[in-house]
Amino acid sequence: MTKPQQDRAQDRTNVLEVANLVVHNTTLTAVRGIDFTLPAGGRMGLVGESGSGKTLTALSLMGLLPMGWQANGSVRHDGVDLIAQSDKALSSRRGRTLSMVFQDPLSSLDPVRRIGQQVSSVIRRHTDAGKKEAERQTLELFRLMSLPRPEQLMRAYPHEISGGQRQRVMIAMALACYPQLIIADEPTTALDVTVQKQVLRLLNTAVQERGSALIMITHDLPIIAAMCDTVAVMYAGKIVEMGPVAEVFRSPRHHYTKGLLESQPTMDNIALDGSSRLASIPGMVPPLHSLPKGCAFHPRCSAATERCRTEIPQLEPGARRTACWHPIAAPAEAAIQAGVSAS
Amino acid sequence: MAIYVLRKLVFFLGAIFIASLAIFLLIRGAGGNVAAVVLGKGATPEAINALAHTYGLDQPLAVQYFDWVGNMLSGDLGRSFRTNERVSDLVTARLSVSIPLALSGLILGLLIAIPVGTYAARNVGTPSGAILALVSQIGVAVPVFWAGILLSLLFGVRLGWLPTGGWTDWSVSIWGAIRSLVLPVLSLGLIMAAVLIRYVRSAVLDVMNQDYLRTARAVGMTRTEALLKVGLRNASLPLVTIVGLQIAELIGGTVIIETVFSLPGLSRMMLANVAAREVIVVQSTVMLIIIFVIAVNLLVDLLYGILDPRVRSSR
Amino acid sequence: MTMNQPSPMSAPAGVPISPPQRKPRRKLPRNASLLIGLVLTALFLAIALISFFYLPSNPNIPVIRNRLLPAGTPGHWLGTDVLGRDIIAQLMVGARTSILVGAGGATFSLILGTIAGLAAAASGKITDEAISRGSDILLAIPGMVTALVLAATMGSGALTTILALTAFFTPSFTRVIRSAAMGVLNEDFITAAKLYGRGKIFVLARHVLPNIAGVMIVQFTLYFAAGILTEAGLSYLGVGVHRPSISWGLMLNEAQQQVGVSSPLAIWPGFAIVLMVLGLNLLGDGLRDVLDPKLARRAS
Repeated sequence: MTKPQQDRAQDRTNVLEVANLVVHNTTLTAVRGIDFTLPAGGRMGLVGESGSGKTLTALSLMGLLPMGWQANGSVRHDGVDLIAQSDKALSSRRGRTLSMVFQDPLSSLDPVRRIGQQVSSVIRRHTDAGKKEAERQTLELFRLMSLPRPEQLMRAYPHEISGGQRQRVMIAMALACYPQLIIADEPTTALDVTVQKQVLRLLNTAVQERGSALIMITHDLPIIAAMCDTVAVMYAGKIVEMGPVAEVFRSPRHHYTKGLLESQPTMDNIALDGSSRLASIPGMVPPLHSLPKGCAFHPRCSAATERCRTEIPQLEPGARRTACWHPIAAPAEAAIQAGVSAS
Repeated sequence: MAIYVLRKLVFFLGAIFIASLAIFLLIRGAGGNVAAVVLGKGATPEAINALAHTYGLDQPLAVQYFDWVGNMLSGDLGRSFRTNERVSDLVTARLSVSIPLALSGLILGLLIAIPVGTYAARNVGTPSGAILALVSQIGVAVPVFWAGILLSLLFGVRLGWLPTGGWTDWSVSIWGAIRSLVLPVLSLGLIMAAVLIRYVRSAVLDVMNQDYLRTARAVGMTRTEALLKVGLRNASLPLVTIVGLQIAELIGGTVIIETVFSLPGLSRMMLANVAAREVIVVQSTVMLIIIFVIAVNLLVDLLYGILDPRVRSSR
Repeated sequence: MTMNQPSPMSAPAGVPISPPQRKPRRKLPRNASLLIGLVLTALFLAIALISFFYLPSNPNIPVIRNRLLPAGTPGHWLGTDVLGRDIIAQLMVGARTSILVGAGGATFSLILGTIAGLAAAASGKITDEAISRGSDILLAIPGMVTALVLAATMGSGALTTILALTAFFTPSFTRVIRSAAMGVLNEDFITAAKLYGRGKIFVLARHVLPNIAGVMIVQFTLYFAAGILTEAGLSYLGVGVHRPSISWGLMLNEAQQQVGVSSPLAIWPGFAIVLMVLGLNLLGDGLRDVLDPKLARRAS
């Protein structure tokens, strides 16, 4: 247990306060005003289909938006507003108080530098550790990530190790300086199914050990259920539902969340005889340049009314938040409603 | 790495062998009776036969080829038909002009192209990026000799700062030699730069879109720092290959620039010997140039192996 | 540069952006490149055609009393050279030579390169390796050197120049065609055609060729330009075309030899070369964007 970690455990302020975050380029607005807070050490899952703005949200927090994209709004972190910071000021935070793990570990590591060098240079950049000390810490990180033969790994190049190992190196690099927040953007999508679980388990324990808060971006709901305390569901650049993972997943209030949950394959709803009951949400995610008026989900929603077509619903305040004019009622009522609508 | 080096060495030797065969067949085969060509139309059959005999030109082609290769391996590049000078002497005397010219031209080209190309890549879609793209597009269309002519019109004739041509040898005055090289190097360098800028730009552009550059920034580098520390190293990989390919072009440019500025370099000698149909001189000089180009390409491949760990282990 | 080879990579690759929405394509600059290229190329083609029917005066007959007339002289709007020959007439005939030699070299190397490239792509590993390595080796021979050797053995002239260009360009064409054909041959519909029992030649002619036609047209345009530059260089050196043929490079050679570097005569042919080559390069780049967006991303 290191000192900063203990300090942080007592300090229960928020590691991130996002207010009215908008991400746009000259023609499109991909993230259309989102708000959320994340307490120190907290873990939030961010779900949504591809194109919902999850990745751009994450990149805007890091100040790593692709060329042409711009973020507005406010992102409070560690006493500053990240949006207002220069690239130089942000760069001194990236890798130190904020870090990120990307989707594809092969393309994300520098192909021409040794792995040990890549990780230890992060430590040397942000701390006053010397070369020896940084290498020692790197080895420690490799052990934390259960990487085999860490000494040899130090001298290896990214192409010489497996995909799962590469992603573990990426995680080690992200955690090297005990960041207050780590953002993992679909960290296992590019990996073989067989190693996904292992990498997630290691990510889970390592984040815990380092005392960082976590934002987990994925479209894989069970991962969120296993790793996060809260979940935010994004649709077409807005958060449509937010709350504690267990509650949201047990009784979703937004029709989109419900559809998303029902379209996840589980052992219950997979049937090989063709009678599969796996549901899917009708229609497609609307393209950003032609979003429907009102609630962006209304063309695909069975409960849509005239109001949904004209007025944009906002997230109501509270621990359990939904942006919907006709939220699904609590389980007890839902059962009754289900009975009514089935007839 | 050892296997990689070995493969490249085998290719190097094979390339030289095939190139020598091609040159030999082209000159001896397509040229017909060499002795007759050398002596010109008015020569008597006796004179032709005598010349052919002296130089072994009456031997079977295979024998001539192996004689030539054997002699070259022992350092004997043959002699001029007319002046009986040794080709090796002719060549070495000219290298003190040609090599500084070609090398400085290439270096100047790179010194211009790398920063300008990087700048252009960073400013894609902006007015300054578009202007740079247009300028380099025009630069590529400018023949190197015209660039030379224009530069000598401006700096030599109009301003009178530098000689419009001619050569002061290193042994006479080092400063004078440098002065006579300035405009030639400038012409060659500018035109090389125009060609290279486009490659640098697309190499940097490619690297800028790579995930590892984003990672470099994600762990604490600024945009510029990531580009310079991580990006340029990775962009240098395709560039090394391009520079290797440009060597052939550099030699072409050097030949022409030597003519524009009347420099007594290798290519002026070549041109004079082409005009005089000095087949042996041309053949051996050409072979030397080709060996040089292939050797540079070998070096480039080895350098690539050093720069890129993936190449080393995969091949 | 005189021994210029077209650049295999150019055109920016689109910035990959996380959401799948496509950025609106910046159409204007692309089309502008195609349009300017087309106009310039058509202009020079027209000049070359007109030169067969109409010339202001005979570009080869010296008229001593007209020596070195300045630009702007009525009847000789760009002036005359040291022998009193009209510059405009010479430029017009020069366009003819440039187009003949450039297009000739590009055409022959396109034909040979396509045959060799398709053979390499469609045959077994050994043939492929032989052709690929062979073109690697030939690529190492400077085009200028090939041209000099040919001039030394065959004598110089338009035909020799075309041959030299062909020898110089064919290896690069082979490479490009090979990699383009490989790309097509790996497509599923080729496998389907083969399963259908189609022969190799049929597949190549019917499926591969039409799919690489875009690449071929683009490459032809770019090598056409490179050929013009090379021809100008060779003629400037005195080992390209010579009188009574006229070439822009030859005009520059004469201008520099006859009146020294101060001659304004050294300006016009240079402009002609730059404009024509620029036009073809712009046309090639523009066509590349229209015909084959994938080619722009092709790693060399």
